[in-house]
Amino acid sequence: MSEANTSETAAVSIRHLSKSFDDVEVLRDVELEVKTGEVVTIIGSSGSGKSTLLRCINWLEKPDRGSIHIAGQRIGVHDDGRPMPVRELAKVRAQTGMVFQGFNLWPHLNVLHNVTEAPIHVQGKSKREAEELATALLEKVGMSQKHDSYPNTLSGGQKQRVAIARALAMQPAVMLFDEPTSALDPELVGEVLAVIKDLSAEGYTMVMVTHEMAFARAVSDQVVFLEKGLIIERADPETFFTTPKTDRVRKFLENHDTPSSA
Amino acid sequence: MNASAWNMLLEGAWTTVWISAVSIAIGVVAGLVIALIRLARIPIIDQLLVLYVSVARATPLVTLALFIFLSAPDLGLDLNRSVAGILALTLNTTAFNAEIWRSAFRNFSREQSEAAMATGMTPWVTFRRIMLPQMVITSLPGLVNEMSFLIKGSPAIAVIGIVDLTRVTNRISAVTYEPLPPILVAGALYMAIIGCLVWLQRLAERRANRLAM
Ligand SMILES: Nc1ncnc2c1ncn2[C@@H]1O[C@H](COP(=O)(O)OP(=O)(O)OP(=O)(O)O)[C@@H](O)[C@H]1O
Ligand SMILES: [Mg+2]
Repeated sequence: MSEANTSETAAVSIRHLSKSFDDVEVLRDVELEVKTGEVVTIIGSSGSGKSTLLRCINWLEKPDRGSIHIAGQRIGVHDDGRPMPVRELAKVRAQTGMVFQGFNLWPHLNVLHNVTEAPIHVQGKSKREAEELATALLEKVGMSQKHDSYPNTLSGGQKQRVAIARALAMQPAVMLFDEPTSALDPELVGEVLAVIKDLSAEGYTMVMVTHEMAFARAVSDQVVFLEKGLIIERADPETFFTTPKTDRVRKFLENHDTPSSA
Repeated sequence: MNASAWNMLLEGAWTTVWISAVSIAIGVVAGLVIALIRLARIPIIDQLLVLYVSVARATPLVTLALFIFLSAPDLGLDLNRSVAGILALTLNTTAFNAEIWRSAFRNFSREQSEAAMATGMTPWVTFRRIMLPQMVITSLPGLVNEMSFLIKGSPAIAVIGIVDLTRVTNRISAVTYEPLPPILVAGALYMAIIGCLVWLQRLAERRANRLAM
């Protein structure tokens, strides 16, 4: 009973999640709970399953076992094992917003229409309503001057900020970020991190995969370390970065330029 | 060439244009539908479509037109010449268009459709709003190419008695004994028709630049 309760209040609730590709177990019995307003950072070395975990949350990847609830609603399958019809799945998915490493903007639409597309064609918002919302969001991410620009004319940092606005436009219960700054030139990383930091200050619920340790330490409420599909450590950022419990995490942090203090 | 010869030429041109236009319109949409169905990989239906595409692509238009026109009565169908001609052209061009659309599907960025699904779009909305507009732009050069092949191949339907722009030159010279003038005019008209298509293609190319990220 208490289990049902927590999945209702949590923005994301993951239980016993397992996933294999061919014969390789990429996620092993992952348990994760993200409370509303919380920022959870997932850290781990390449191939440890971070992207797969994030992509399972919105069912872009289909787990083999386990359950995932978004804002209390189960995603992907019903409790009796019946797969969810595509329309219903899309509805639950709309509760999540995803920001990809490679931006994945739609190149045939200008900046404004990248942001209004889903509110209009998924939520059925009027054009005017969607454009008002998009205008506010583009201002929030500092892209007010670029409504009419097409993605191919933007820098990587600008593209990613538009992609963040696009995800926010559906007013999701949780934002998922998969290495949002990894594809950026170093001098453009800051502008994107600044936007994400603002979101965390505003109380957005976020799950983020990142290699930016200083940033993770500054914005996270919870840090999770993934190793070969297993969560081997989880803690608040202070504890995680100053007194890691396992040798594995200590080694990992030594190899990444860990911030000495936030 | 006198006035009646000019009249006949224009009528022939009109026949070529409308029969080709109808065949192109049906063929582009039918090709897309076939490509969509083939995505679903339904057993038997998929094999049948593969068979159709390879047969239609390998059969000369003249043969196809004759076959349709001559076999229709045996099948209890009462096809007039124009319908038989349209059917032949459509069956031919659909097969080529299906392959063009299919490669557009294959080459479509998976990341972009995932981004669409992640916002809560259903596969259908993703197709309609995100994939199709881009596929039209990227496929247009191939489709326009196929359209001009169809127009240039359309004299084949004369074999079932349709008086198209090429056939009509024959008729005119049978009266005037001057084959060259009508042929030259017909050639110019073909160039004008295909010129319109090329212009369409240019328009698409300008948009295509945007898609190159
Ligand atoms: N679609 C797939 N098919 C087969 N194997 C896959 C697929 N996606 C991921 N994998 C494998 O699963 C493992 C975990 O991949 P994942 O992308 O989740 O790692 P990651 O932690 O995000 O790594 P990175 O830091 O490099 O992004 C890797 O070994 C990867 O090769
Ligand atoms: Mg990854």
